[in-house]
Amino acid sequence: MKTLLLKELRENVKVAALGLVIYTLLLLGQYSRPGQSPRDLGRLLTDGDFLTSTTWFCGLFGAVLGWLQIHNERRPDLWAFLCHRPITRTAIFLAKATAGLCLYVLAAGLPLLGYIVWARLPGHVAAPFEWLMVRPAATWFLAGSVCYFAGMLTGLRQARWYASRGLGLGVAVIVFVALIETTAFWQGLAILFLAAAILITAVWSGFGSDGYYEGQPVWGKAALTGILLAGSVVVATAAGRFLTNLVPRRDTSYTKSFYAMSQTGAVFRATVKVVGPAEKMRFMAEPLLGAGISLVTNRTEFYTQCAKGTKFDVDHDDRPHPSAWMLADCSLFSAWHNTADEVWYYWDRYGRLVGYDRTTRRCVGSLGPKGFARNVEGSGDRFNLRTGGTHHLILSTATTAFLVDIEQRTTTPIFTTSEDDPILAVHEVEFNNRDWEYTAVVTRKSIHVLTREGKQVWETPYEPGYPDYVAIDVYFLEPPGQYGLMIALSVQEKERAKGKLPVHVSWLAGDQGIVRSVDLPDLPAVRFDSGESKLVMGAVMPPPLLAMMRLSTRDSAPEEFPQTMLLISGAVALLVCLPIGWRLGRRYRFSLAAQVGWAMFHLICGVPGLLAFLSVQEWPAREACPNCKKLRVVDHAQCEHCGAGFAPPEKTGTEVFAPLGAKAEPQAAG
Amino acid sequence: MNEQAVIRTQGLTRYFGARPAVYELNLEVPRGGVFALLGRNGSGKTTTIRMLLGLLAPTRGGGTILGYDIRALPPEARARIGYLTEEHQLYGWMSVRETGDFQSRFYPAWNEKIFRGIIGHFGLRPTALVKSLSRGERAGLCLALTLAPEPELLILDDPAIGLDPVARRSLIESMVFLTRRSDRTIFFSSHQLPDVERVADYIAVLDHSVLRACCPLETFRNSIRQVRLRFPGTPPPLPKIPGLLQAVRSEGELRVTCVHYTGATEAALRGLGPTEMEPALITLEDAFISYLGDRGEKSFILSETEA
Repeated sequence: MKTLLLKELRENVKVAALGLVIYTLLLLGQYSRPGQSPRDLGRLLTDGDFLTSTTWFCGLFGAVLGWLQIHNERRPDLWAFLCHRPITRTAIFLAKATAGLCLYVLAAGLPLLGYIVWARLPGHVAAPFEWLMVRPAATWFLAGSVCYFAGMLTGLRQARWYASRGLGLGVAVIVFVALIETTAFWQGLAILFLAAAILITAVWSGFGSDGYYEGQPVWGKAALTGILLAGSVVVATAAGRFLTNLVPRRDTSYTKSFYAMSQTGAVFRATVKVVGPAEKMRFMAEPLLGAGISLVTNRTEFYTQCAKGTKFDVDHDDRPHPSAWMLADCSLFSAWHNTADEVWYYWDRYGRLVGYDRTTRRCVGSLGPKGFARNVEGSGDRFNLRTGGTHHLILSTATTAFLVDIEQRTTTPIFTTSEDDPILAVHEVEFNNRDWEYTAVVTRKSIHVLTREGKQVWETPYEPGYPDYVAIDVYFLEPPGQYGLMIALSVQEKERAKGKLPVHVSWLAGDQGIVRSVDLPDLPAVRFDSGESKLVMGAVMPPPLLAMMRLSTRDSAPEEFPQTMLLISGAVALLVCLPIGWRLGRRYRFSLAAQVGWAMFHLICGVPGLLAFLSVQEWPAREACPNCKKLRVVDHAQCEHCGAGFAPPEKTGTEVFAPLGAKAEPQAAG
Repeated sequence: MNEQAVIRTQGLTRYFGARPAVYELNLEVPRGGVFALLGRNGSGKTTTIRMLLGLLAPTRGGGTILGYDIRALPPEARARIGYLTEEHQLYGWMSVRETGDFQSRFYPAWNEKIFRGIIGHFGLRPTALVKSLSRGERAGLCLALTLAPEPELLILDDPAIGLDPVARRSLIESMVFLTRRSDRTIFFSSHQLPDVERVADYIAVLDHSVLRACCPLETFRNSIRQVRLRFPGTPPPLPKIPGLLQAVRSEGELRVTCVHYTGATEAALRGLGPTEMEPALITLEDAFISYLGDRGEKSFILSETEA
């Protein structure tokens, strides 16, 4: 095997070298992009462009390398020369895979490692470093190895390019999408290892049968079928989307309603109805409460009538949101403020602002509630980042909101509360041109509006309160000194309450507090119409996949996968895929066990299952049986209809056969 | 059944799409000697060889090679079989020496002397890159790679394809010289009838995927007979003649090639009333072309045009 390994390494080292150069140049390009701001530079390992180029490079290079390793020897005679070694096909596979993975590591892993080490060493990047930031890029690097085996399988399979040859690459597409969607790192790793294990099994098994389905062991056939199923899901989804784009559809239609307050304090109920393409949007704002307003059907006019204000959710960080781990790894710190010489970040791990010198790119110290410290940790004092807005000058702990001055490296308390009434949110209220004029502070029991300097403008109880009512709208009305307040349910509570809990609206005068309040019926969440695309997508998706997606989005977006889709999917599987599959199985003389197995497969996997079935089988020729005249498959010794064997070749009377051990007959008499 | 057969197939069949490339092949290759597999392009020779070596799965049927099932040929069987591929494909980026080293590591019985001897015979420089070799040189290198492991059975897929007569002769002589010394078996496919005539003990002929002949070479040669019949005018139409392979009609002459020439054949021909009837000399090549050419009566195109 060592000989083959060395041969593979030598044969493909040029491809690896080319990959190494390309990826190195891509990485260098990331660092030396002209006009790159320090803020971007700080995100060296989590930068979108870097991750995108790593993803594409690793995926494409892995697939090309795997494919080339097979393709270079796929000329029939060279493949025969290789395979006619007195070694097992497993040894050939292992030598190829080991060499290929080594070369992949050389081309993609080496530059990536160098990049990470360079970013890790102090003095290179003016930003915090955490090893967690390496995970997204490292995961894409690992995903490239899945693409490598997918490429290998594509090279190995005995199928036509315009048919199912490339279906193996569909697994890579699914893995990439799944990695983005997974909520925990272990899930991403599990998907990677599972996909790699299935692909390795299929490739290994394919080596034994020269890429044919027939001749593989059962586990190899199962792995190959699974891979083609995944590829078929991708193809069916793409085809479904393409088809739905060909016909006029209603699936982009939705209706959204919300309350808004006019400058005079009157309340509108605005409804946006989008039918089909976005330009067919219909808007209507009906006056509900208050005088001086009328029905408005023009959005621009409506917004000119609306009061200035701010909206924010107080539970933005408090409740556990299922978010992608990859996104979390890319958000371990956030850019805070830049000065002429320094770049400051809010570092979640320490709950502090951390500054870096632009020139030396080294840490200058950190700023916490107790002030500046030369190190990153300070004395352990930390903020809770809750501020919304664009100015980022306010930070808070559980009980105090601070105005932060980066230039002076000081923190000044502007709002304090007690421990039993902790701060839930702090929001910078910005008006025209993002002028920061007020600060809204929400504690568990009350809502406060302060001036920039921290002087209280008004305060009102937070009722109905946390945690059900979390969406807060504060309006600044005309004439000045008048305010409006709307407190609405969280999205989850809205779903649960089904419109039974109202939206609370209050009007305040700065010095008198609440002057009037009213409850308005809760408005439904965005309603999507179930259009033709849902029907088409339902027809082409496997029922269990749809059921799974429906379950996972049941709370957040039930309209995404309505029950109709599931019913259509099941009906297509039962009425179309199952009969076609059964008929083909009978025609090609499958055993009863195989018939039943495939029937279950079609029932579960629907249209993609049928596509995978059609792709994976090699469909032997059929010819007329000379005995019963019916068509029969040629790969069985007996006719499936009458049991007759194949007739020997027809005699022409010119055959010359003689026992091979015998001496030659004398020349016939002339 | 020949217990000494090194290759044996039963109903070996392979389809490509709806077309059978090899159909119901029942073949036995005896141990020792040189066995030639003949046939026109696309008759199924290479497919047969690939199936025998387990490089292509049969659609149905099966067989054994050196006693091993061809569907699951183990490494120890491959070690005993030398295989020279049709197009002499090798890794172009390797040098002659590297190719030898590469091959030798798989075969414990590798005979470096044979390898050096053959590459010396073909005048190959050990440092020359394979991609820089001529077809003849590459064929020589392939032969060296195939013979140096001293295989018990040598399977050569059209070894002389594309070679000039000198290189061809050199290749065939090397092959025969090195294998005749011991009780080895050579199974080769070829289009080169003179080569076959020179070295083969047995032949098998595939015609449109079907085995039509399998016998000692002499038996085949003796089975085919050509007779020239002269007529005063235009030869009369031919009656049904058993074993007729080909009848070529020209002005006042009919040349008839038959297989299994018997008294009945002769009587049928005499019934045509020729003024003269004499046997014609026929080479193996002529016999082979008659055997594999279109059956039935033909006229020279020129005569037909003039008519």
